[in-house]
Amino acid sequence: MRPVTPRGFRDVLPREAAQREAIEHSCAEVFSAWGYERVETPVIEVFETLQRAAGDLEGTAFRLFDLDGQLLALRPDMTVPIARLVAARMEQRPGVKRFRYAGEVFREHESLRGQSRQFTQIGIEIVGASGPGADAEVVAVLVEALNAIGLTDFTVALGDVAVLFALVDAAGCDDAWRSEVFRAAHESNLVAFDGLTRDDRIAESAGAALRAAIRTRGGSEAIEACRAIVEPFGCAAVLDEFAQTWKLIETAAVADRVVVDFGIMRSFDYYTGIVVEAYAPGVGLPLGAGGRYDGVLAAYDAPAPAVGFALGLERLTIALTEQGVTPDVAAAPVVVGGDAEAAFVEAARRRAAGQRVVLAPGLTGDRLAEEAGALGAEAVEAR
Amino acid sequence: MIAAGGRAGRGGRLRIAVPKGALFRDSVRALSAAGLDTAGLDEPGRQLIVTTADAEFIIAKPTDVPVYVAYGAADCGIAGRDVLVEAALEVVEMLDLGFGACRFVVAGSEDAPDLEERYGQMGVLRVATKYPRIAAAHFEARGVQVEIVKLNGNIELAPLIGIADVIVDITATGTTLEQNRLSIIEEVLPSTARFVGNPAAVRTDPRVLDLARALSVLSVESTEGPHIADPKASPFPTEGE
Repeated sequence: MRPVTPRGFRDVLPREAAQREAIEHSCAEVFSAWGYERVETPVIEVFETLQRAAGDLEGTAFRLFDLDGQLLALRPDMTVPIARLVAARMEQRPGVKRFRYAGEVFREHESLRGQSRQFTQIGIEIVGASGPGADAEVVAVLVEALNAIGLTDFTVALGDVAVLFALVDAAGCDDAWRSEVFRAAHESNLVAFDGLTRDDRIAESAGAALRAAIRTRGGSEAIEACRAIVEPFGCAAVLDEFAQTWKLIETAAVADRVVVDFGIMRSFDYYTGIVVEAYAPGVGLPLGAGGRYDGVLAAYDAPAPAVGFALGLERLTIALTEQGVTPDVAAAPVVVGGDAEAAFVEAARRRAAGQRVVLAPGLTGDRLAEEAGALGAEAVEAR
Repeated sequence: MIAAGGRAGRGGRLRIAVPKGALFRDSVRALSAAGLDTAGLDEPGRQLIVTTADAEFIIAKPTDVPVYVAYGAADCGIAGRDVLVEAALEVVEMLDLGFGACRFVVAGSEDAPDLEERYGQMGVLRVATKYPRIAAAHFEARGVQVEIVKLNGNIELAPLIGIADVIVDITATGTTLEQNRLSIIEEVLPSTARFVGNPAAVRTDPRVLDLARALSVLSVESTEGPHIADPKASPFPTEGE
């Protein structure tokens, strides 16, 4: 019998593993330069704890019972565990917290959809800072990380869910209508969204503003266009902060990679301010996403503003492959054979000189050449 | 999973998934009226990809359109609302094109014994369908216990040969149902053709939005959201009723 992995789980073999390691390393260097500290959290959390902050995890999270009968879950993302970590362990630590991470996350998927059930997220979170400064920082770090891994072409789309919140409030309809609007927006169902904005219980001008706002995108001029749309409803204030964020993004010299897009609509029960998504041509799904989630820590009785993003490592490798970029991977090693003692001495000498060395004590001649050949490496016989 | 080389259509052309079958002619007509060169699409023969000056058209089985679009193998496409609901994949539903109108219905044999009686006796209805997700959601919302059998075609046969009590299927005119002595028991949801986009393409390729805009000028705007029939109107009584 050939042993196999469960559906949606896979092994990573050396060539791919080296590439993944290089990407992780490039991101970590950027994050670290901006002052982000690495944290790790357990792969398994208490299901109830995750669900309290993440909302409904039914059908998303892998669940299991332990011997105590406790319902546990494999973490479906890194943001909520880090929020839990901050709430549980860092309440006393003053000041803004900047964390970075790289970790496996797990999500249930139905069979035959070609979906992995384990993937790796690389990202950052800022906890304890609100406003344009933190928002612009997150966007700048995101762009720098994508540059650092060697992507030649990518776009970061930046929107703000507060615009939709403000307009829906201004429309002043009942809760059922509100939740239907948010659901249609979250599901990217513009047909249903448009239909709901034509509901005769809301003012025609409010409906038209909703339809126009989610279709507003472009450079800095899109911010002004959006302001003109929301101004009559007295909610232009949400655009003031956004304009400041944009200004800082320009100052950080990353604006050429950023597109303003008020049509980015996702997880309204989670995000409270800016939302970001990163895209690369040739990759039909976002490379990563994030935003401001000021309500999440309150679920753990430790209210604090927070913002961050996560990149999907697997999608980054796909994007790099599409763009023909191979991350710098260590050169082939040297295989040192011959007399065992001599080989150990020779290998130590070469390692000290900075070479990668594979030991093959006792192997000589053709057998040594064969061993080296399998690794695509040079053979050296120590004497 | 992400499609390899998605959006990198030959010569950077926009890739559009076009459903063959019932929606094909209207789809080609709409795309052509929106200003795209669709020469060669009228008589594609056995060709699966038709390349014109403006776009690369992928001729797809209707149920595969959402798969191609969600995974980025096509930038955009045309698919019935029925297919989109059943696929439950991440695509941006941009426009109701108005054509291809049909309804999802529950239908049963006119010659079969009283369904209510049978449900009371057996405690479960056997449902045959090509759309297990939609059927399950429909009966779940009504508290009706069902066993769903997925079939791949000629669903109308199921009640006639006794593999199911009722079917959930789409119908445009009801003719096929009538011919097989099946009658409509209840409506599930109405469907029309939709223009859908890959989420990444919608964000990054202005041509997808331009096409949506051009199509929107043509299409009859539908103001109806997905319509779900009143659950209380179910002909299958729930326990205790």
